[in-house]
Amino acid sequence: MKAENFLLKFILIAYLVVFFGYLLGPLIVMSITAFNSPAFPKMAPWECLTFEWFDVLARDQRILSGIQNSVIVGIGTVFLSVIMGLAGALVLTQIWPKLRATYYTIVIAPILIPGVVLGISTLVFWDRINIMLGFSSGSFLHNGIFLTILGQSTFIASYCMLVFIARLQRFDTGLTEAALDLGATNVQAFRKILLPFMKPAIGSAAVLAFLASFENYNTTTFTFGKFPTLTIELAQKVRYGINPSISSLAFIIIVLTVVGALVHEIYRRRQQLALANGAPVAAVTGGFQLPKFFRGNPAAVILVLMALGGFSTIWFAQVYNPTECKVDVREQKRLIQGERIKAIRQKQLEQQQQKLLKGPDVFGGSKTQPPAAAGDVPQSPGKGAFGNVFDPGNLDKTAPQATPEKPVQSPGKGAFGNVFDPKNLDKASPQGN
Amino acid sequence: MTVTRIMSNYFNRNGFGLGIFLLVAVVFWVVILIVLPQISMLDFSFRHHLPPPEMGGPKDTYTLEHYKYLVLGAPGADTSYNVVDLTVFARTLLAAFFVTILDLILCYPLAYYLGQSRGGGMTRILVLLLIIPYWINEILRAFAFRIIFGDSGVINEVMLAMGLISDPIDFIRANVALYAGLGYAYILLMIFPIYNVIESLDRNQIEAARDMGAPWWRIHWRVVIPYAKPGISSGCTMVFMLSAGALAAPQILGGPSSLWFTQIIYQWFNTGGNWPRGAAFAIVLLVTCIVIVLSLMRLFKVRIGDIGK
Repeated sequence: MKAENFLLKFILIAYLVVFFGYLLGPLIVMSITAFNSPAFPKMAPWECLTFEWFDVLARDQRILSGIQNSVIVGIGTVFLSVIMGLAGALVLTQIWPKLRATYYTIVIAPILIPGVVLGISTLVFWDRINIMLGFSSGSFLHNGIFLTILGQSTFIASYCMLVFIARLQRFDTGLTEAALDLGATNVQAFRKILLPFMKPAIGSAAVLAFLASFENYNTTTFTFGKFPTLTIELAQKVRYGINPSISSLAFIIIVLTVVGALVHEIYRRRQQLALANGAPVAAVTGGFQLPKFFRGNPAAVILVLMALGGFSTIWFAQVYNPTECKVDVREQKRLIQGERIKAIRQKQLEQQQQKLLKGPDVFGGSKTQPPAAAGDVPQSPGKGAFGNVFDPGNLDKTAPQATPEKPVQSPGKGAFGNVFDPKNLDKASPQGN
Repeated sequence: MTVTRIMSNYFNRNGFGLGIFLLVAVVFWVVILIVLPQISMLDFSFRHHLPPPEMGGPKDTYTLEHYKYLVLGAPGADTSYNVVDLTVFARTLLAAFFVTILDLILCYPLAYYLGQSRGGGMTRILVLLLIIPYWINEILRAFAFRIIFGDSGVINEVMLAMGLISDPIDFIRANVALYAGLGYAYILLMIFPIYNVIESLDRNQIEAARDMGAPWWRIHWRVVIPYAKPGISSGCTMVFMLSAGALAAPQILGGPSSLWFTQIIYQWFNTGGNWPRGAAFAIVLLVTCIVIVLSLMRLFKVRIGDIGK
């Protein structure tokens, strides 16, 4: 029995590790790439500790304007969806019972409708309204921010409504009735009784709405018009060539999220402690006593440690200069590249000799080429090397072999097609390491 | 009669100003934001693809052209069916189904563990850890998977360094990255509904089953799973719908040869410039997903009211 328990515990822990590894691993890897120097975000091999990607990020005008648009859209969406969600939840409590199921299905549906469909329907609908009203195509109905706010609010209001419904279930309608009996008007009862009760829910619905709006892609991608939000900008960057400045943005967001979560946790802890009203925490901990604020509050401890770590990192970033390390790495890379080029040249030379032996037979010549092309594969991973063998452009690639010294002398420029493109070499070199 | 009575009751209860305000807000949401756009899109999908000046003109009639296109392909094509688009459609649904099952298998044990543990500090921290990835932008999460699974990604580098493989494995082309990323993106929508339900399960029921000598798998099969069914089905519904309708992850993580159905819709809207056709495809996606979800719910005897609880 005991052995079985032990085994169970072991399986449980292994499972938890795998699960949270899946959940958090990608975020950790991404954060680490933000501090590594290669231009393509990667964790291994580690080259140089650098903070330059944060600089790149801070100078990126498109990201900055994207953040601005996102904030504007977020505020609009929060405003609209909190109001609609609250109204929706209140109406749900009062609606005619026969209609309730239908009504609930309709207002919950936007959560389940794919975001793409919501975006399209918003776009199509307002486009037609615009045509019907006879406005020009530049009217506010075509404004990206307007459409995005409406499109996002459609489903974010449903999230908000769920939050409000959960809170309303604990509301004692007797309170409102008592207020009305005591002579309060309906509006007064609403403002003085219901709204204060709903306040925490309104707060969390607003936060939820803002975050959902900030990270929405599927709906926004159809409605954004001329005002790309941060998510849209990120998506375009990620799709057309990536660099670690995106990782650094991710790192910032992750840190903000963790801090936010910890602050929230501390707040809840303190509330609970206040509720427990001087529960004998100290008696349990005993021995070493933390300052009062931290007592029984691991979240606060972590937060303070993180703040210390953050400050020391910033200080370090001011002092630290990765240039030397980078020069070292570049030197190393150049050596490896040199060897690589030599090896390829050797192969090509052998191949040419073979060709000469076999005579100018075109088909025979191309048959002997594949082994050499296979040697090329790691250098141009994005391209089907075998496909290129038979195309006439191949001659261009083999041309540099005639003047092989040049690429080494000017490694900064891809003078001779793809083979000596510095990017290719960057990508290829880690395999040499 | 009843309508006027209901309305007067309603205004008596809320007062005039507040009553009007609530009504306006709800009508705006339900009619203008939810119902009318969907109807408008449905209507639009039956229209010809016309340049703006001809809209509303004599040529603007109803047509099944776009739906025919999805099933039969372009008129005069070699094949009698639109093999490309239909294959993508089927693969999208299958893959979404697969992702849902994957998430369910991954989440159920944790949801059970969290729901049944006695809410100590450990549980709280685990829940916190669960929520954190959810606040990170969807694009960034997909990006993280690209870093991990790319040609020079962490996995390939590690395996190369360990000598397990000689050439990098193309995870992107094999769609491993896509499935991992999709499963990751919506995993929380699976875990929380199940967790919420299991949390309310009376522990005595499990104890009783155990006392009667039931093995652990039978306890789950006969006690926990039937009880957690609403949570499981609402989690599955959300994950299935969202991954079938996902756009970001397939765009970033999808292999060069594999399209997601939403990407085709996206293409008709952006590069293709044929909005009615895009709308028609979107309708097909929406209706198919709803039909699948509803029939599964009927199969497992769950009501739609249970969703979102």
